[in-house]
Amino acid sequence: MNPTAALKPGLIGGTVVIYLAAIGMVERFQDRNVITGVVGLGVVLILLTIAIAAYTAARKGRTPMPTGALVGLVAGGMVALITLGFEGLINAGVDVRGMFVSITPGLLETLEFGLNPALGAIVMALAGGTTGLVAGGLVGLKDEHLRSSIVFAVSMTLLISLGEPILRVTLGNLGIPTNWLYELGGLTIAGTIITLLAGFGLRWWLMGRKEKRQEIAAHMPEDTRRTWGRASLIAAILALIALPWVVGPFVSDVLGTVGLYVLLGLGLNIVVGYAGLLDLGYVAFFAVGAYAAAIFTSPASFLVTEEGETFAAAGFTNIWFAFPFVVIIAVVIGAMIGAPVLRLRGDYLAIVTLGFGEIIRTLVLSDWLAPFLGGAQGLTRIPAAPPESFDLRNPQHIYYVILAFCFVAAYISYRLADSRVGRAWAAMREDEDVAEAMGISVVRYKLLAFAMGAGVGSLGGVFFAAKIGSIFPNSFGLQVSINVLAVIILGGIGSIPGVIVGAAALVGLPELLREFGEFRLLIYGAILIAIMIFRPEGLLPNKRRQRELHEGAGSAPVELPEGASPA
Amino acid sequence: MTAPAPAPTPTEQSSRRLRFERIPMRRIILIVLSLSIIYGVVAGSTATLRTGVFTAEDWQSLIINGLARGSVYALIAIGYTLVYGILFMINFAHGEVFMSGVYTAYFVAVAFAGNGFLNSNPLIAIAILLLVSMAVSVFVAVILERLAYRPLRGAPRLVPLITAIGASFFLQYTFRGLYGANVRAYPNIEILQGKWTIFGIQMLKTQAIVIVAAMLLWVLLYLFVARTKTGRSMRAVGEDREIASLMGINVDRTIVATFAIGGALAGAAGILYVFLFNQVIFTMGFLPGIKAFTAAVLGGIGSITGAALGGLLLGILEAVGPNLFLTGANVPSPNQLQPVIAFGILVLVLIFLPGGFVGASEEKRA
Repeated sequence: MNPTAALKPGLIGGTVVIYLAAIGMVERFQDRNVITGVVGLGVVLILLTIAIAAYTAARKGRTPMPTGALVGLVAGGMVALITLGFEGLINAGVDVRGMFVSITPGLLETLEFGLNPALGAIVMALAGGTTGLVAGGLVGLKDEHLRSSIVFAVSMTLLISLGEPILRVTLGNLGIPTNWLYELGGLTIAGTIITLLAGFGLRWWLMGRKEKRQEIAAHMPEDTRRTWGRASLIAAILALIALPWVVGPFVSDVLGTVGLYVLLGLGLNIVVGYAGLLDLGYVAFFAVGAYAAAIFTSPASFLVTEEGETFAAAGFTNIWFAFPFVVIIAVVIGAMIGAPVLRLRGDYLAIVTLGFGEIIRTLVLSDWLAPFLGGAQGLTRIPAAPPESFDLRNPQHIYYVILAFCFVAAYISYRLADSRVGRAWAAMREDEDVAEAMGISVVRYKLLAFAMGAGVGSLGGVFFAAKIGSIFPNSFGLQVSINVLAVIILGGIGSIPGVIVGAAALVGLPELLREFGEFRLLIYGAILIAIMIFRPEGLLPNKRRQRELHEGAGSAPVELPEGASPA
Repeated sequence: MTAPAPAPTPTEQSSRRLRFERIPMRRIILIVLSLSIIYGVVAGSTATLRTGVFTAEDWQSLIINGLARGSVYALIAIGYTLVYGILFMINFAHGEVFMSGVYTAYFVAVAFAGNGFLNSNPLIAIAILLLVSMAVSVFVAVILERLAYRPLRGAPRLVPLITAIGASFFLQYTFRGLYGANVRAYPNIEILQGKWTIFGIQMLKTQAIVIVAAMLLWVLLYLFVARTKTGRSMRAVGEDREIASLMGINVDRTIVATFAIGGALAGAAGILYVFLFNQVIFTMGFLPGIKAFTAAVLGGIGSITGAALGGLLLGILEAVGPNLFLTGANVPSPNQLQPVIAFGILVLVLIFLPGGFVGASEEKRA
């Protein structure tokens, strides 16, 4: 075997670990227990990096077992060396922390497993080596059942541990005791063993029945299958309806936020996914929606006249009356912003929309428009909407409203995709000149996409305002546009299930793992890069989009006719 | 839209369509937009001038201020323009390349200030700061190209742009993680304090130095691109990558060189930037980056001269604009609206003059 083959992945893995440590991720994550008293998330992060490096190395090399172990040893050894180096520097009185604020005693303690530097280095190298050995060894494992079950058991345990905030509350609500499973935010040792065994057993059992299930599915009569499909759809809807009462107010709030991002994602998906216009200023419509809703309903709004005669006279006391008008306003603004710029080439359009987003944010913040928009103080006191028993500030209530609008938006998106309009968009996206030559009015269809996106985005804004009750300009920065973009790109551009998965992963997870907070945009950035390089069609791709993307990159043809060989 | 309509068929649908096409909505909106902007600018300016709040000297100092910040934009803009000229992609993360250098050099500056080197040997100290800043920016730019952009050559146009946006945030928060989230003030350099009077115009020493240094760097770059072998290969690769590679040019190396040069200028621009503004923070690259991109587009993206002129023009407009256009219109705290001017110019240039005023002559660039 060739030891240099493992050197490169080992060095890359080691560099990644050092990077994670230097930006403070390891230390921040270490605060979170994975198995209480045994490992924290910071160490898991290191071991995971090493495992991935070892796995890829072993897959490329001929001799999986030793290569993987060697990767782990190299990476672990590198970390140990660096740790020792930093210790040395700090002991010699060099002020490293003046520059690298994240290299703290706490970090070094984590990297040394709470032992002394030399011993810690040995443990780190050993732990890395073992992890590498296991990860590399998995590649060589002939028995697919066993391999798949081990991977499944480990990932399930990790997920159950990370899902502690929801699962503990949910199980508690259902009256199931959780003391045996969780302790101080992490799994107990007994809980870990039980989860690992359960995960392993479940997967083993499922794998064993896989062929049988496939056979049953293949021989199922058409209408029985349809009934099953309907039944599962109804079950899913019922589950969504019951969800807020099972998980409790805190998680419902998170669900509401996820729902808002699903709504925004569906709106942006029309613009980016269907029409192929990269809009980096999508937050502008979100802001228009929120501010218009606040202006129409808040008693703090300038529409309130001096006599105390409010706009309420026209029936705008609440969000329900205001929101259709808000959407119309947003559509008009979307068309007005869109009309002059839609002739621009793709990348220029992206920058211009970014500019619009920033212009709107600056205007909202400015003293100049403060009498109308509240300036830095924002607009507060958005009144509760009737009926009183259904207060939108209650996260368990607004969840239903957002859910309903998500369904409407998803249904519209779904129906649009293959409609005449959707086909026009697809043609335009693939080749604008050809589409125009075929008689598609490019500007009109682009405008339509922009206006529809604006409408859906403003809906998001309206319910954001209703949910929060007060709005401040800081909620409408570029990050929102980037978040929404990351959501649809992770899930798959143009794919409706993709939007939901993207929102759940990118908005839901960070809300639950508060430790992620400061690294959120870092992770989003990394995801945008990684997805674009490795899987530009996203996790749940839209078929047509996938074909377009791979055509351009000149990689293997995606759709070969059955039986045709590429030779 | 201007093509003559074919003979109308009697079907309802086509007649409806024709009626729609006959009203050139887009053009009407454009005309209304440009008229209202012209009206606003002229009315605001005359009102401001009539109030006489600002003296001639005020305008002078505003223009100098604009030239100084414009010089910084120009240097950053060159990075955008060079990369666009060769790869036809907007390197959205270039602002972060700019930030990385100067933020790292901050720690060197603090160390120098601590042991007194900064004020005992200021010229050497500044030279070292400049070198550190440029080196880090070059490093970041080259790594960025290697890891994020190279795998995407030949991908559809929006793919590298999205990657660049991701890279921009990734770099921002990487540096936040490394160096912390606080605003940090650069230590004072004594010889840069005070004013000079040049041609009867008073200006801060820093402003004069920034303008001269930027001009110097620009001339160096121009000569580099025009005269050296690398410069010629850069132009050849921008013209036609395949033919260039057939002519024996190492395309990969040329592209790396382009990113490196852009990075070096951004690093230098960073040091000049702190001469003017004195502060560093991990988000500092975003706005100058977008403004520099605006400058590059304003001058005609792909053109080095255009980037310089666009930068200066944008700087002046940004410094003078809010005061000139808005003060007379009784807008409170007009300088708050500076970004609106910059972004407004970006939007208007892209709508009305997408080739920029230099690039317009080199039609095929777009």
